[in-house]
Amino acid sequence: MTKDSLIRTLRDGFGPALTVSEGATPKRLVLDIDRTAFRAAALKLRAAGGRYMVGVGSDERDRRGAFGMIHLFAFDKDGFTVALRTSAPAETPEFDSIAPEIPAAGWTEREYMDLLGFTFKGNPKPKKLILADDWPAGIHPLRKEVPYNLVPPSAEDVAYELDEAPEGTTTVPIGPFHPSLHEPAHFAVYVDGETIKGCDYRGFMTHRGIEKLCQTQVSYNEVPFVAERICGICGSVHAAAYSQSVEEAAGIKIARRAEFIRTIMLEIERLHSHLLWLGVAGHLIGYDTIFMQSWRVREPIMWLSERLTGNRKTYGMIVIGGVRRDITPALREDILGVLKKVETEVGGLKDAVLKDTSIHRRTKGVGFIPREEAEAWSLLGPVARGRGVDIDVRRDHPYAAYDELSFDVPVMDSGDVWGTLVVRLLEIFESIKIVRQALDKMPSDGPLLTEVADVLPAYRHGLSMVEAPRGESVHYLITGPENRPERWRVRAPTYTNLQGVPRMLLDNQLADFPIIVGSIDPCFSCTDRVLVVDGRARSRRVFARSEIEALGRGRRKP
Amino acid sequence: MWLTSKIKQVLLVLKPGKVTLNYPAESRPVPEGFRGQPAWDHTKCIGCGGCANHCPARTILTRDLCPEIRILFYDGARCMYCGRCADVCPEKAIVMSPEFELATGDRDDITQSLELFMLTCQRCGRCYDLEIKNAIDKLDLRGYRYDSLEARTVIRRSTERFAPDVLGETEAYRRPERIGG
Ligand code: SF4
Ligand code: SF4
Repeated sequence: MTKDSLIRTLRDGFGPALTVSEGATPKRLVLDIDRTAFRAAALKLRAAGGRYMVGVGSDERDRRGAFGMIHLFAFDKDGFTVALRTSAPAETPEFDSIAPEIPAAGWTEREYMDLLGFTFKGNPKPKKLILADDWPAGIHPLRKEVPYNLVPPSAEDVAYELDEAPEGTTTVPIGPFHPSLHEPAHFAVYVDGETIKGCDYRGFMTHRGIEKLCQTQVSYNEVPFVAERICGICGSVHAAAYSQSVEEAAGIKIARRAEFIRTIMLEIERLHSHLLWLGVAGHLIGYDTIFMQSWRVREPIMWLSERLTGNRKTYGMIVIGGVRRDITPALREDILGVLKKVETEVGGLKDAVLKDTSIHRRTKGVGFIPREEAEAWSLLGPVARGRGVDIDVRRDHPYAAYDELSFDVPVMDSGDVWGTLVVRLLEIFESIKIVRQALDKMPSDGPLLTEVADVLPAYRHGLSMVEAPRGESVHYLITGPENRPERWRVRAPTYTNLQGVPRMLLDNQLADFPIIVGSIDPCFSCTDRVLVVDGRARSRRVFARSEIEALGRGRRKP
Repeated sequence: MWLTSKIKQVLLVLKPGKVTLNYPAESRPVPEGFRGQPAWDHTKCIGCGGCANHCPARTILTRDLCPEIRILFYDGARCMYCGRCADVCPEKAIVMSPEFELATGDRDDITQSLELFMLTCQRCGRCYDLEIKNAIDKLDLRGYRYDSLEARTVIRRSTERFAPDVLGETEAYRRPERIGG
């Protein structure tokens, strides 16, 4: 649905309860709506074909006596986004839940129940999502009066209540530490014999409180370096997404050359991430040849980024206003050389992998979801494209220099892990194509960094989406008065894809659990970025907590 | 089909041979422009505190012992080698060294501490502010700083004048660990 017809339908439906305004660019539509019509409007946007991205809750009591809540929708075919905003009075932050109809909104709502003390009436699973189980009731860490380094006393006798297991099933606990999970997360898998009949997820065990930290402690220009460390892989993605959201909010226009360099960094990152995933996927199905070989092919890319950015990872390159380092003619030749080698090697890898029947047997039909359900769960990136959902932020909502570059978006209809594998392999070649084009089309001069001449205006909103290797990363930013964001919301792709995992697991074999979870390339660190303390409370332990703490403290003393 | 792909895999493995480096016996030289551990040149540093203000990890601390002596303390345990300190330093007193083999059992091995003699001229703490052009890089703290070198934390507080009670407060500072008991 085009923007104009969407506005018309909504105006007809909601009349004076709705205020329509332009966002920072014509591609951003902002709808302010009365709280009573919030749910109805969200459902209407979904029915009109909007893809639910994420919700943003914010504490704005100090400046206007209210809490803010925003639902973000993307209209991918028409290339625009909608921010549906409402607010609730400070005393009664209550909203109607949209999660029964839009399952992808479930976590957002639970997140703000925990962090801001909101109530979402009708949420089907109003359990704790983010806070530790022994976190005292009534303390909501994202509220402004709560200090960023608050550590409440712990309690010994609380534990997460798992969902009711379906009739006749046995519960197999997987995690928090498990060889097939590379980061802590707990899946309670309900099995009937070997078949998975359901699953409950309890994650968010390693919260680092990055959003709160950046809203209270550091200033605008330091956040990119913190944002990079949200993820061990998508450094440039988060730095670029954050920088773009600040640039959009403040109306900063950066140099074209810097946009090209950002594009090149993002694609180099995709190359190394996809090769990394291919290796891990091989490892998860017990096929270590693939693991060894794809990581061998990946290594020259890491060394290349060491020469480009100063260190192995694609960190430290993207800041507000542009980039920090140039791509000199010598580095350009260097990149082309590495790409050529990687292209041949990945070609060999692809031939060897795609025809291997043992891989077919382990991935075809595994983790199947039909396209409609993949859309309902708002799945993203290769996970969605492997299930026939044709979305890609680079093409649908171009940022950096992608509008000038031509590339294909591989889509597979098989709907299973095999589909995501093929999509990722093909994307490697597309990335190589994009980097080559970008090197050709890049303007040869122009500043790398556009200096920000004025103090950034407060309370402007900026939204940015970047296609990370795992799917779309969304950053939403509200500028603040103290040279730092007032609200900075990060939604990494795993946050959305992980919500779809219980559906992917349904009716699969328990032995396929590692590869199904692995197929979304889960990044628990990206997902667990919101809170203030880590959830260390476990109900059963061998050591008394005080003993462990005494041990830990002893070590920490200088 | 099964067999051909197996043969291809064998070739894939055999062709490159052994690629593992003989590390640490032989280490690969770091490239130009490498971001290793930052290193301070005390002869160049004017003690403006710019690096301490803009370190994202808040791992550079400053403490003013008296109007003439400022301690600049870098705790490498928390450093993420972003190079932001080297970027903002107006005197180019910080270089990102090629040093990356930093694993150690003693964090004092990776800390650096500078005792800076601050001239009584009033440039102290302000020369940096004047030179910076980027509006969002402005110095957000002026005056005296009393970061806690004991707890290795930045104290977000400064005064325009020397205040002994703030110093006392800082020395007794502990990270909040528990509320309620
Ligand atoms: S390199 Fe970065 S983290 Fe390390 S001291 Fe400098 S600014 Fe701080
Ligand atoms: S920014 Fe440079 S001159 Fe200023 S205190 Fe740091 S090292 Fe010294």
